[in-house]
Amino acid sequence: MRRLIFFLRLLNRFSVRNLRTRPWHVLAVVFGIALGAAVFTSVRLAVDASMDSFTRTMDLLSGEADFTVVRSGGRLSEDLAARLWSHPAVETASPIITSYVTVSGREDEPFLMIGLDPILDYPLRSWQIAPSSGDVSRIWLRIVTSPKTLLLSPRLARQLGLFPGHEVTLEHVNQVSRFQVAGVLEDQGLSLVEGGYVAIADLSTMQEFTGLQGWVDRIDLRLRPGATRKDIEDLRTLMPPGVRLEAPTEARESGRIMIQAYQLNLSMLSFVSLFVGMFLVYSLVSLNAASRRRELAILRSIGASSRMIFALVLSEGLILGLVGWLMAIPIGSLLVTYLVRGVSSTVNNLFVRVRVETLILDPWEILLSFAVTVLVAFIASSRPAFLATRIAPRESLMMHAAAAGATRHPYPWPLFGLVLIGLSWPLAKLPGLPGFPAAGYVAILFLVLGFSLLCTPVLRWIGTSFPPLLRRLAGEPAFLAARYVRDAGNRTAISVGALVTAMALFVALVIMVHSFRHTVSLWVYQTLAGDFFLRPKMAGINLYQDPLPPKAVEALQQVEGVDLMPYRHFELRHGKVPFEFEAVPFDLLLQHARFLLLHGNMDEIRPALIKGDGVLVSQVFMNQTGLGVGHRFKVELGPVSLDLPILGVFRDYRTRGGIVYADFRRFQELTGDLEWSGVRFFFREPPQDLKQATDRLRAQLLKGLAAEHPVEMISGAALRKEIMDIFDQTFAVTTVLLLIALTVAGLGITTTLTVLVLERIRQLNTLAAVGAGSGQIRAMIFWEALLMVITGEAVGLLCGFLMAHLLIDVINLQSFGWTFLYVVDWKALLVSLPLILATALVAALPAVRLVLKSSPAMVLKEH
Amino acid sequence: MPNPSVNPLILAQGLTRIYPLGSTEVVGVENIDLRIDAGELVVLKGNSGSGKSTLLALLGGLDLPTGGALRVAGQDLQKATPKELNEYRRKVVGMIFQTFNLLPTLTVMENACLPALLAGRPYEEVEKKALEWLGWLHLTSRLSHYPGQLSGGEMQRTAIVRALINEPAIILADEPTGNLDSRNGQAVIELLAELNRRFGRTVILATHSTLADHCATLFLCLRDGRITEARGCDA
Repeated sequence: MRRLIFFLRLLNRFSVRNLRTRPWHVLAVVFGIALGAAVFTSVRLAVDASMDSFTRTMDLLSGEADFTVVRSGGRLSEDLAARLWSHPAVETASPIITSYVTVSGREDEPFLMIGLDPILDYPLRSWQIAPSSGDVSRIWLRIVTSPKTLLLSPRLARQLGLFPGHEVTLEHVNQVSRFQVAGVLEDQGLSLVEGGYVAIADLSTMQEFTGLQGWVDRIDLRLRPGATRKDIEDLRTLMPPGVRLEAPTEARESGRIMIQAYQLNLSMLSFVSLFVGMFLVYSLVSLNAASRRRELAILRSIGASSRMIFALVLSEGLILGLVGWLMAIPIGSLLVTYLVRGVSSTVNNLFVRVRVETLILDPWEILLSFAVTVLVAFIASSRPAFLATRIAPRESLMMHAAAAGATRHPYPWPLFGLVLIGLSWPLAKLPGLPGFPAAGYVAILFLVLGFSLLCTPVLRWIGTSFPPLLRRLAGEPAFLAARYVRDAGNRTAISVGALVTAMALFVALVIMVHSFRHTVSLWVYQTLAGDFFLRPKMAGINLYQDPLPPKAVEALQQVEGVDLMPYRHFELRHGKVPFEFEAVPFDLLLQHARFLLLHGNMDEIRPALIKGDGVLVSQVFMNQTGLGVGHRFKVELGPVSLDLPILGVFRDYRTRGGIVYADFRRFQELTGDLEWSGVRFFFREPPQDLKQATDRLRAQLLKGLAAEHPVEMISGAALRKEIMDIFDQTFAVTTVLLLIALTVAGLGITTTLTVLVLERIRQLNTLAAVGAGSGQIRAMIFWEALLMVITGEAVGLLCGFLMAHLLIDVINLQSFGWTFLYVVDWKALLVSLPLILATALVAALPAVRLVLKSSPAMVLKEH
Repeated sequence: MPNPSVNPLILAQGLTRIYPLGSTEVVGVENIDLRIDAGELVVLKGNSGSGKSTLLALLGGLDLPTGGALRVAGQDLQKATPKELNEYRRKVVGMIFQTFNLLPTLTVMENACLPALLAGRPYEEVEKKALEWLGWLHLTSRLSHYPGQLSGGEMQRTAIVRALINEPAIILADEPTGNLDSRNGQAVIELLAELNRRFGRTVILATHSTLADHCATLFLCLRDGRITEARGCDA
C-alpha cells in the first residue's frame, strides 16, 4: 500500500505535472481518444436500441407460447385452432391476426393492430386495461361482444389524441372502417410492442375489418406441463399440408441475426476512429519520454527500477485514455441522439421493422467502451514505456539529453509487412461466422498493418532517392526535409501509419459505396423496370399477406394503353432463411427488364423461364441456402408444392433475404391461386412526357379504383429515386464515421509534427544560427509534412484499392450475401486527395508556430 | 548592409542583456563597453554564468540586447530587422559550438555546405569551396560519413568548415574544445589561430581552457556579466 501511494505521488509529480506543461497537445490527444470512444459507444448503443425495440416486440408478441402454427405464404383456417385446443397436451391455442393499419386522413406512421381471442389468449400474453378508462370489466366485455371496438396503448392514444368513447377511422388493405375506442391499456405487456404504438381488438372484429372471416395469421400454443416429445410429434401430424409447427423465436432469430450483423459491421467501422486515436496516445507518450530522457536516467541513477519506469510511462498513457473516455461521455450523449435516428431508420428500411422510442444505457456497453479505450491506451503506451526502460542511468551525466535517434530496426518489419499483406487474401477466403465475416476483418487488419509497416522503407526510399531532385526544384529546405524524414524512423512511421489506416479506409469505402451505388443503380433501372407500380396499401409492411381484391383486379384490367404485369408475392422461409417468392409473367418482364446474371445465360434460359420450366434465384438466396444453378427449388405454398430447377442466379439488392422468381402463368396453373399481389404498368407507346402520362394514369386509378380499395401507387421513376435515396441515407452514417476517423488521423499528424519539432528544437535553432531564415525553416517543416502525407496517401491509396476488394468480395458477401461490380469513382478520389493533402498541411501549422517561438540563442552552452 | 572592412569591426557601448525569469530578472551581461578591431584573436574568459555565451549570442546575432548599443561590421544589431539579422548571420559571422551541433541526417559534405546553400549559392560552387576547406582540415576521406560515424575532433573540424563556408569576417567559438580530449582540443585551437593569422579572420573564442592563451591578441575576463579585465597581448 505504501509503495502504491509512493508510486501515485511520483506519477503526479513526474508525469501529471509534465502533462500540464503541454495543455494543447494533451487536449488534442484526449479529444482524439474521446471522439473515437464516443463514436464506438454511441454506434453500439444506437444499434442496441433498434435491437431492443425489435426483440422486445417479438418477445411480447410471442408471449408465453411454446409453439406457433404458421402456413408458408398463407393463412390458417380458424377451425385448426379448435382441433389443436382439443389435444390433451395443449393448454391453450390462441389464434391471432396482426396487421399494420393507418388512421384515415392522417400522415402518421402505420401502427400494429392485433386481433385476438381475449379468453384463449389470456394465458399467453399480458395486457391490462387501465382503470382510468372506466369500469374495466365492462370495457373488457364490450371488446368481446361489440364489433368495431378496440383498445389503444397509452402512447398511441396520446399521439392520436383519442380517449375512451372517441371514434377513429382506420384503413386497411381491403377496407376503411370506423372504430370506437373502448379503453386505453396500461403501459405494460403487449402495449409496449412496436415502441408502444399498438391497438388490440377482438379476433372477430379484426377478421371483419380485414375481410378474413374464418382465417387467422397464426395459432400460438401453450402446452400443459409434462407434455412430451411424443405429444409434439403428435401435434405435427395434425398439421394440414403446408402448415408447420415451429418455435415462436424463429422469426425473432432471423431478424436478430440481421441486426446483429449490421451492428458488428458498424462497430468495426467505428472502432477505426479509436484505433487511429491510439497513434495519438503513442505520439504524446513517446514525446514525453523522449524529452525527459535525462530525467528518466536520473531516476534510474538514484534507484528507480526498470519496472517502475515502465509503470510510470505506461500510466501516463492510461491517464490519457481514462480522461479521454470520461470526455467521451458528453460527446457520446450528443452523438447517440443523431445516430439513433439514422441507425433505426436504416434498420427499418433494410432489415426489420423497428420503432425506437427509448434509449437504454446498457452498463455492459459502457463497460465495453471503457475496456476497449483503456486497452487501446495500454497498447499505445507499452512500446514507449518499454523503450524508456532501456535508458541507461549514465545518461544522467550527459550535458544534453542524448537524442532518441532513429532506431535501427532489429527486426525486418518491412518483410513482416509484406508477409501480412500476402496472407490477407487467403485468410479472407476462410468461412466466416453467420453474418459476421470474422476472417475478413482480420484480413483487413493484416492488410492495414502490413501496409503501415511498409511506411518506413517508403519514407527511407523517398529520403534517399529524392533529395537532389527536391533541392533543384524547391531548394535546401526540401532537401533537409527529405533527409530528416528518411532518418526519423518509427517516430514518423507510426503517425504515417495512422494516416495510411484512415486513408485506406476512406479510399476503400469511396470505392465500395460507389461500386455499390453503381450496381444498385443498374439493378434498379434494369431489373425494377416499370412505368408505374400499384399494390395494396401497406402491402410491404404487411408482408404482402393481403392480395388486391377481385373487384380491384377487374378495374385494373379495364385500363387502356398499358401492358399490365401482375405479380404474386409471398414472404417465405427456406429452413430458417427468410426469402421472397414472386411469380411474374416472364414473357412480359423480359421484354422490359434485364437481370444482372451471375450464373446462367439469358438467351439460353429465356424459353424455359417463359414456359415456366424453371426459376431464377438471387445471389443472396444462393449464398444463404447453398442452392444455385443445377439445384432444384422446392417450396410448399399451402397445399401445393412447387419443385422447379434453378436456371440462373442474378444480382439483387433487396435486403430482407433473397428472392426467387417463377413464371406467373405456371404458378397459377400449379397452385390454382389467381390472385394478384400487385401490378406493374408499362405504357404500350412510349409517352412524350412520361411524368404527365404517369400523373394521368394515377388520376384515372384514383378515380376508379382507389376510392373503394386503399392502394399504394408510385411511378417507376419515383420508386427508383426512393430506393436510391434510401441507399444514400444508409451510407450517411458510414460517411460520418469515416470523416471522424480522418479527423482523428489529422490530429495525429499535427501531434506528430509537433513532437518532431520539439525533439529537434536544438537542430532547428542551429539552422537559424547558421543562416536559415524563418521562411526556410517553415518551408522545411511543411515539406516534412508534405512528404509524410504524400507517403500516407500513396500507401493508403494502394491499401485502399485492395481493401475495397476485400470489402466487396468478402465482407459484403459474408455479411449480406451479395457482391457487386468493382467500379472506381476516380472523380471523387481525384478531388478528395488534394483536399486531404491540404488539410494535412494545415495540420502542420501548430508545429511551424512552435519552432519559431524559441530563440536561436538556446544553441549556446549556457542557455 | 554589413561592411566587414570597417574599423573597429566590433563596437559595443553599455551593452546589456537582461532575461526576465518569472518575477525576477537574470543579468546576462551588463554595461559592456568593447572595441575589437579586424584581425584580432580574442579570448573570453570567465566561470560558468559569467556571461561569455550571452556575449557571443549577442555578437552572433542570435539574441538582441535589452540596453546599450552594438555595432558589428558597421551594422547596428539592436535596430536590425529579423531579415537583416539573418543576412548578418549568413555573411558576417560563422559559429562554432561546444557540442558541434551538426545535423545528424546530413553527411560531412552536406553539413559543411549547408549555410552556403541556405544563402542560395549554386551547389557546384559551394561544393568546390567545401572540398577545399575539408581538404585543408584533413577530412577528405570522411566526406560521405555521418556525424555518428566521426570522432569528436572530426566533428569539430566539420563544424569549423561549416562556419567558414560563407567566408565570414568573424568566427565565434563557444567552448570549442569543451567536448574534446586535450590532443584534439589543441588541434582545434591551432586551426583557429591559423584562421586568424593566415586568413585574417577575426576570432572570438570563449573558453575555460588555457590552450588559446598563447595565441590571443586580446583577453577579456568576465564576471557576473561585466568585463573585469581587458588586456591586449602580443600573440
